[in-house]
Amino acid sequence: MAAVLEIENLKKAYPGGMVALDGVTLAIEAGEIFALLGPNGAGKTTLIGLVCGLIRKSSGSMKLFGIDLAVDSLGPRSSVGLVPQEVNFDPFFTARESLEIQLGYYGRPPDPKRINEMLQALALQDRADVPTRALSGGMKRRLLIAKALVHRPRLVFLDEPTAGVDVELRRDLWAYVRKLRDGGTTVVLTTHYLEEAEALADRIGIIDHGKLLVLEGKESLMQRLGERRLEVRFATPLRELPVALRWGSLEDDGKRFVFLERHGEGPRAAALLAHIYGHGLAVVDVSTERAHLEDVMIQILRSGGGQL
Amino acid sequence: MNWIGAKTLLNKEVRRFLRVPGQTLLSPLISTALYFIVFGVTLGRYQATLDGAPYVLAIVPGLIFMGASNNAFLNASSSMFITKLQGTVVDLLVAPLSPLALLFGFVAGAMVRGALVGILTWAVAMIFTGVHLAHPLESLALLLLVSYVFAMGGLLAGLWAEKFEQVNFFSTFIIIPLNFLGGVFFSVRSLEEPYRTIAMFNPVVHMVEGLRSAMLGTMAISPIGVAILLGFAAASTAVTYRLLEVGYHLKT
Repeated sequence: MAAVLEIENLKKAYPGGMVALDGVTLAIEAGEIFALLGPNGAGKTTLIGLVCGLIRKSSGSMKLFGIDLAVDSLGPRSSVGLVPQEVNFDPFFTARESLEIQLGYYGRPPDPKRINEMLQALALQDRADVPTRALSGGMKRRLLIAKALVHRPRLVFLDEPTAGVDVELRRDLWAYVRKLRDGGTTVVLTTHYLEEAEALADRIGIIDHGKLLVLEGKESLMQRLGERRLEVRFATPLRELPVALRWGSLEDDGKRFVFLERHGEGPRAAALLAHIYGHGLAVVDVSTERAHLEDVMIQILRSGGGQL
Repeated sequence: MNWIGAKTLLNKEVRRFLRVPGQTLLSPLISTALYFIVFGVTLGRYQATLDGAPYVLAIVPGLIFMGASNNAFLNASSSMFITKLQGTVVDLLVAPLSPLALLFGFVAGAMVRGALVGILTWAVAMIFTGVHLAHPLESLALLLLVSYVFAMGGLLAGLWAEKFEQVNFFSTFIIIPLNFLGGVFFSVRSLEEPYRTIAMFNPVVHMVEGLRSAMLGTMAISPIGVAILLGFAAASTAVTYRLLEVGYHLKT
């Protein structure tokens, strides 16, 4: 797949020495949902701001759709959309007018059909003609999403798009983001809801202190670093574990066997379970739980990205 | 250039000030009408002529200048500042709008308001003085040039300002004093020396005299006034364009 965005050794340092982005290199492939994750102040918004022309770079290069932004900073941006982290709105205009204006900024002629489509997709049609100041917080955020998408961008940056949006609508937005991806739009997402990144992302970048620590497919990352926890409850407490089960541990006075399955290390949980039944141990309950992205991210941040 | 984008910004700017006509059109019109009544009608009794024209008629171009310049300046400065303050500047920076497109949208929008206030002021004054316009095209051209220069100044101020207080700084401490000392209500040529020479360094004097010459036809249009306006227009355009290009106080 062709890269829609290529960033090489991108650096942003502020006067006074604060380094917000420290030599990041990455490529975003066409048609993927890429989640950029990291703690507050890690450099996620700086990276997006640099690509979108909100921040001046200190050094490095950026190519959008194969065009170097140092050569042409405007042309490629007609196919980019941004949902900024901070909610903004112009109180003089309605949601519908805001979308009309946004289309115009991108050099597109008026398109009432497209605007109605966006209002409907973001559940704003009933409040389309009231001033934006009268919209609720969630509606204002949805309007930001509609504004970022109304001109049909090929690459869209969603910087914390669902902050303050209720659970039901968040799920609807996830479905809409997947629909966008399926339609060929590339999505770069930052979010504090790691559940959101886990549900949506094809690839994940983890950034901290301005450095990219990990850049990997979500499935591969989860498989590589995500532990699977196996827990077995016995009918009768065990005094000690059979040799084959010593990869795990006994807890709760011998009533509970716990094992953490790690990729490429030790046996698989299924094999241990087979041993348990093979030994004729009376089992009351079995549960397995896969690690979440949050656990993986904490692991990466703690290690600083080294030796993972 | 992204002309649709530039025209969209212009259209938005005009719609924005038309949404609050009481504040943006009626208020300056009432202030100017009050100036006209207080200075023109009352002082006119004591001072028969100004620069060769009846006093009440001679202050009209100055009042038009004041209305146009103040409103063009305020529109551009407040619009740019508020755009930064409410965060909608992000929309402008992410979109493929060049510095020229931004400059066009903000300045043309402010010029429309400045020229509209100027024309409405003239229309109101004509109720008192009767219709009088010696050189309509030159008058309109000068009105637009004045609006352009002050709109550009307003955009500069809006870019520079980071606090509300700073938006009003130029208007309160520079424009209003220069206007009042710029011969709107009196002829600087009638001042004694050295005040006359000092006053001639005030660019507003030449702008007001230029507009007065074009509208009243009592004296020739001063090439100095036009040259000063063109000079300010060129210099402010170059500086503003450069600041927009580097994203001064827009990008970090």
